[in-house]
Amino acid sequence: MNRSLAAACLVAVGIVGAQAQDVRQIVDEAQRRSSAASQRYEGLLQVFEAKGRVSDKRWTLERLGSHGNSRAILKFTAPAEVKGVALLIVNHPDRASDQWMWTPAIERDRRIALQDRSTRFFGTDFSFEDLEERDVNQYDYQLIGEETVDGASCWKVQSVPKERKSSQYSRSVVWIRKDNYAFARIESYVKDAVVRRLDYSDIENVQGIWTARRLEMTDLRRGSRTRLTLDKLQYNGPMNEEDFTLQALRRQ
Amino acid sequence: MKRVAVLVTAILLSWIAPASAQPVSSRGFIEGRLFVFPQAAALDHQHFIVDLLVREELSARPTDWLRLQGGIDFRANNGGQVDASWEPDIRDRGIKRPILSIRRLDATVTRRRLTVDAGKQFIRWGKTEIVTPTDRFAPRDYLNVFDTEYLAVPGVRVVGQLGNHSVDGVWVPVFTPSRVPLPGKRWTVLPPGAPIVEEVDRAIPEGQQAGLRWAYVGSGYELSASFFDGFNHLPIVEPVGPLDFRLAFPAMRMYGGDVVVPSRWVTVKAEGGYFTTDNPLADDYVLYVIELERQHGELLAAGGYAGEYVTSARAAGRFAPDRGMTRAFIGRAAYTFDPNRSAAIEAAVRQDFAGIYVKAQYSQADGDHWRTTVAMAALGGDSDDFLGQYRRNSHVVLSLRYSF
Repeated sequence: MNRSLAAACLVAVGIVGAQAQDVRQIVDEAQRRSSAASQRYEGLLQVFEAKGRVSDKRWTLERLGSHGNSRAILKFTAPAEVKGVALLIVNHPDRASDQWMWTPAIERDRRIALQDRSTRFFGTDFSFEDLEERDVNQYDYQLIGEETVDGASCWKVQSVPKERKSSQYSRSVVWIRKDNYAFARIESYVKDAVVRRLDYSDIENVQGIWTARRLEMTDLRRGSRTRLTLDKLQYNGPMNEEDFTLQALRRQ
Repeated sequence: MKRVAVLVTAILLSWIAPASAQPVSSRGFIEGRLFVFPQAAALDHQHFIVDLLVREELSARPTDWLRLQGGIDFRANNGGQVDASWEPDIRDRGIKRPILSIRRLDATVTRRRLTVDAGKQFIRWGKTEIVTPTDRFAPRDYLNVFDTEYLAVPGVRVVGQLGNHSVDGVWVPVFTPSRVPLPGKRWTVLPPGAPIVEEVDRAIPEGQQAGLRWAYVGSGYELSASFFDGFNHLPIVEPVGPLDFRLAFPAMRMYGGDVVVPSRWVTVKAEGGYFTTDNPLADDYVLYVIELERQHGELLAAGGYAGEYVTSARAAGRFAPDRGMTRAFIGRAAYTFDPNRSAAIEAAVRQDFAGIYVKAQYSQADGDHWRTTVAMAALGGDSDDFLGQYRRNSHVVLSLRYSF
């Protein structure tokens, strides 16, 4: 999931010359190292409201493929009243994803339109768009500096989606660790204001893939944050393509 | 039937026992609701109705390709809406809600691109809100006409998927009618001068039903075409003597379809169906809905027009909420304040303002399990209008739910 969120927010400004080549190599390598045939985890979501109230949710995520060639199903398992709510995400290499949400109480699925992707996903600080997983080719990049995040030296990469209307964010800044190409932080902008910050921590090597076990998304406009803790994380487990369709979503 | 009910109950219980041996999940709730009707109706002076529902749903996946699902409801009600028998009911064909019912019980087998679902299940094809013309396998409980719930139907559903195309075939061997308002209660409104009856006979057809739906999911649109051959789950009034009548469920064919087109600003949804019958007392007609949907921040709003065009008018009398909500502007909006609080409003306004229905509700969760909801439904209009005839049935609902 961390890779999905990172890729979704990977936005940069294109430049020319040798620096552009360098930054492109960095993001390509980051994508290559995070690629997996499949991913599965159980996530604990803790939503910290601005007023101090904390609520917990749990979901499981199964993903087949990686980045722009992937499909994922996210299913809430707790609390009881949202149990069974599920989201199907079909990612495309050249455009924004298609998404459908299944609500078991009314036995209906609803397509999440592109203009609706900036909406918070089920009361968390992640938007629907933040759950997408995009290919690096959908963005232009610029290396804008180097900084240390949580003691790790990082490249600071800025990006912009090539198709401006495909994203709620006008640009993002991504910190990529130099030692393992894992993401350390992403700040996403609307116009010139940072609206969301995603921090990665507890980064571990899981089956050869450096993975953050804890992600914290802060909605800077609302003053709330959501912490996602990954449990029972598995890469490259067996999965079937037919379990990632609209029909499969309705079976959730 | 009793043996079948006991058997399925045993099967459901057997799923619980080996829960540690197979991936079994469950969800359920206990909900108490208080309905307050400020006005007395012509046939019913009861102002307070208390309703209790306990629901447990189980799902088991013994293998990758097999999924078993079941659900049980327990109900109680002080308004005479629940049957007196404690016998578990799987057919859901009674005029009252059963005390103990098998809400659903089905098995789903998935092999590559083919999915077969057999058993008592929910089948919904419609895409639009409030009025869904193509939902022909989805009878409802209309004991409260504006607070309905879908009833599952027994059958087999086969879905084949090839790329972005899917074909959905349904066969239902046993007909399930919608549960209509009870005689003598406030949701039954009789014409002036009509005799008050305690019971109404129903002629429930024993034939089978079938349907076919092709759907295509494109990157910028979804569309489908559907065909249904069976019976209307909503009744017409059929005379059986000079002063006697019964409720009949006429044979029906539907040719329908829907389309969803997300655009930059709104999502456009349209759904329609042409209904034809060989019953001399039932109409041929077209129902259609066109609506726009937009999510802006935490606000989800949908609104549009539901229309009806009668191509051949024959019916003497009917109970048809689906048609009763047409020739009207319809809308629904929901706003989420935070993870625990939300509000919603839905409305239908007749195009000539002869009838109006508005329902507003506020819902608040407390912790992981409790949720309180307050809703108010207002009804008004002319006595000969479907919405207006219920103008003395405006009400407030207070519900408390514990989910587990």
